[in-house]
Amino acid sequence: MIQLNNIEKVYRTDTIETLALNNISLHVEKGEFLSIMGPSGCGKSTLLNLMGLLDMPSRGDVLIDRQTTQQMPDAQLAHFRNSKIGFIFQSYHLINDLQVLDNVELPLLYRKSTAKERKERATEALIKVGLGNRIKHFPTQLSGGQRQRVAIARAIVGRPEIILADEPTGNLDSAMGDEIMNILLELNRVDGTTIVMVTHDANMAQRTHRLVRLFDGSQVL
Amino acid sequence: MLRHLFKLIWNKKKENFLLISEIFISFIVTFAVFTLLVNFYRNYKKPAGMTYENVWTVNIGSTGLSKNKDSLLLVHENLKNALLSLPQIKAVSYTGNNTPFSNSSTMSGLSYLHHDVSRVDMYRGETSYGKVLGLKLVSGRWFENQDRAVKYSPIVINQVAVEKLMIKNPVGTVLGNKNENQLKIIGVVEDMKDKGDFLAPGPKMYTISDTGSVAYMSTILLKVSPDADANFESKVYKLIANSSKGSNVEIGHLTEARRKKNLEVLIPMIILMIISSFLIFNVALGLFGVLWYNISKRRGEIGLRRAIGASAFSVSSQLVGEALVLATFSLIIGSFFAIQFPLLHVFDLPAPIYLTSLFLSIVFIYLLVIFCALYPGKHAASIHPAVALHED
Repeated sequence: MIQLNNIEKVYRTDTIETLALNNISLHVEKGEFLSIMGPSGCGKSTLLNLMGLLDMPSRGDVLIDRQTTQQMPDAQLAHFRNSKIGFIFQSYHLINDLQVLDNVELPLLYRKSTAKERKERATEALIKVGLGNRIKHFPTQLSGGQRQRVAIARAIVGRPEIILADEPTGNLDSAMGDEIMNILLELNRVDGTTIVMVTHDANMAQRTHRLVRLFDGSQVL
Repeated sequence: MLRHLFKLIWNKKKENFLLISEIFISFIVTFAVFTLLVNFYRNYKKPAGMTYENVWTVNIGSTGLSKNKDSLLLVHENLKNALLSLPQIKAVSYTGNNTPFSNSSTMSGLSYLHHDVSRVDMYRGETSYGKVLGLKLVSGRWFENQDRAVKYSPIVINQVAVEKLMIKNPVGTVLGNKNENQLKIIGVVEDMKDKGDFLAPGPKMYTISDTGSVAYMSTILLKVSPDADANFESKVYKLIANSSKGSNVEIGHLTEARRKKNLEVLIPMIILMIISSFLIFNVALGLFGVLWYNISKRRGEIGLRRAIGASAFSVSSQLVGEALVLATFSLIIGSFFAIQFPLLHVFDLPAPIYLTSLFLSIVFIYLLVIFCALYPGKHAASIHPAVALHED
C-alpha cells in the first residue's frame, strides 16, 4: 500500500544542512497496522509527512497504491490526499469556530458531494467513534479524548484506505489513550484500513502488527 | 463551500464585527460619492438647452442712469439700435441680473390646479432673448411685441416646469388663481442648464419685459459673431460707457461664466473624492492587515486543510472567499440603508441615480476586497502544510 524506496530528507538553511532521514526503505502492506517509534527528533514525523504527501523527499521514491507521487502537481496531490489518506494529529487540529459536525465534514468539502450526503456521512463517522450525541458541540466544549475521537471521525469520514496518526494518544491520559487505540484497532480490523502510527508509547506500539524503530534518521533493524 | 464560509464567518461574527463595520462605512462613503458622480454625469450628458458660445453679458450699474422710466426706455432703445448697427452683433436683449451661470437668481412660484411649484427661476427679457441664448422651443412660440398688451401675462416655461405642474397640453393653459395675476403659457422650451453642466436644471419661466420692469433690466445680452475679438469688445465697451455715463460697465462672456460655474461644482467634488480616497485607502490597508494577521493566526488550520485535501489554489480561494463573505454581510446592511434614499425620496434625486450608485458601490467594494485579499490569500497558499501542522 505504501512503498518508500531509499528515502532521504535533508533540511537546508543558509548555513546548516540537517539530514532528517537517511536511506529509509519501507513497505506497508494493505490492511497492516504499523507503528513507528524512536526518540524525539529522530525523524518519525518527517517520515509520516512523506507518507502523507505533505512533504517531498530530497531523494528516493514514495509510492502509494503503486503510484509514484514525486511528479504529481499540487492539485493532484491534494486530491490524492483527500481520497486515499486520513490524518490524526497529537494536537487534534480541530477548528474551534466550527461545530463538531462541521469539523468532521471538512474533508468532504474538497470533493464532489451534496450537503445532505456530507451530513449523513459525518454523522455516521461520529456515531462510529461514539460521539453521535455531540454533533452540535464546539470542540472547546469537549474533553481531550472526545476531541481526538472527533479527529478520528474526520479522518475516516472520507473512507480513506490509509490513516496516518502522529502520536494520537500523546496528549491523553492512559484511559483515554486506550479508548483511542481501541478505535484505531477496530478500524484496522473491521474496515481493513491501513494504519501507520507514530508513538512514544511502547504498550501502544506492541498492540500493532509491526513496529519500526528510527534513530537519528535511520531505520534500526 | 460557500455555505461553509458563511458558517465560519457567522460563528466568528464578534471577531469580525470591526471588519464588517469598516467595510460598511467604506460602502456608505462610496455610495455617497458614486451618487454625486452619477448625478453629475447624467446632468453632464443632458443637452445644454441653450447656446452660450459668443454670448456676452454687459452689466450696467444704474447709478448714472436716469430714474425716469420714459427717458430710461429711450436710452435703452438708442443703445440697442447703436449696438445692432455693429456688424459683429447678431442679436441684443435687455434682461435682469440673473443671466445664465451668474450667482443672481430671481425666484417665483407657479400653480396649476392642485400642483404648486415653488422656487421657479424667473427670467425676464425682450422678444430677442430666446434668439440671443439660442433657446430651443419644444412647443408653442416665443414672445412677440403684441404679447405686452394681452389679458393674461404670457409666459414660456421649460420642460421641468411642465413635468412638475403635470400639465398634459401646456400651450394655452392659464396658471394661477382668478384673484391673482394669471399667467398663460404660450410656449415650452428645452431645459436650459444655466447653473453649469453638472447641476440639473430646475423649473424655469420666461416673461417679456415691459415698461414697468425697465428699471430692473440692467444687463444686456449680446450675441456676437465668432470673429468678435478684444478690439471689438473694447469698441462695445466705449459705446456703452458713452451712452451710460457715470455707470460701471462690465463685460463678461458666458463661456467663461460657465467654466467658473462648473469649477464651483468640480472643486468640492474633487476635494471630496480625495478625502474619500484616503479613507478607502486606510480601510484597504486595515483590511489587508487584518487578513494578513488572521493568516498568521490560522497557520494550523491552513496546514490541516492542505492535509485533508485542499490544494494551494483552494486555500487561496477560500481566503478571498471569506473576505467576500465578510463584505457581503457589510453590503447587506449597507444596501438596506442605501435603498432608503430612493424609497424616501431623499434629496429629490431620481431613483435610477441611487440604484446605479448602489450597483457601482457594490462592485467597487467587492473589487477592493478581492484586491486586498489576493496577496494574503497567495501567502496562505504558500504555507507548507508539514511546517504549519508541526508549529501548532
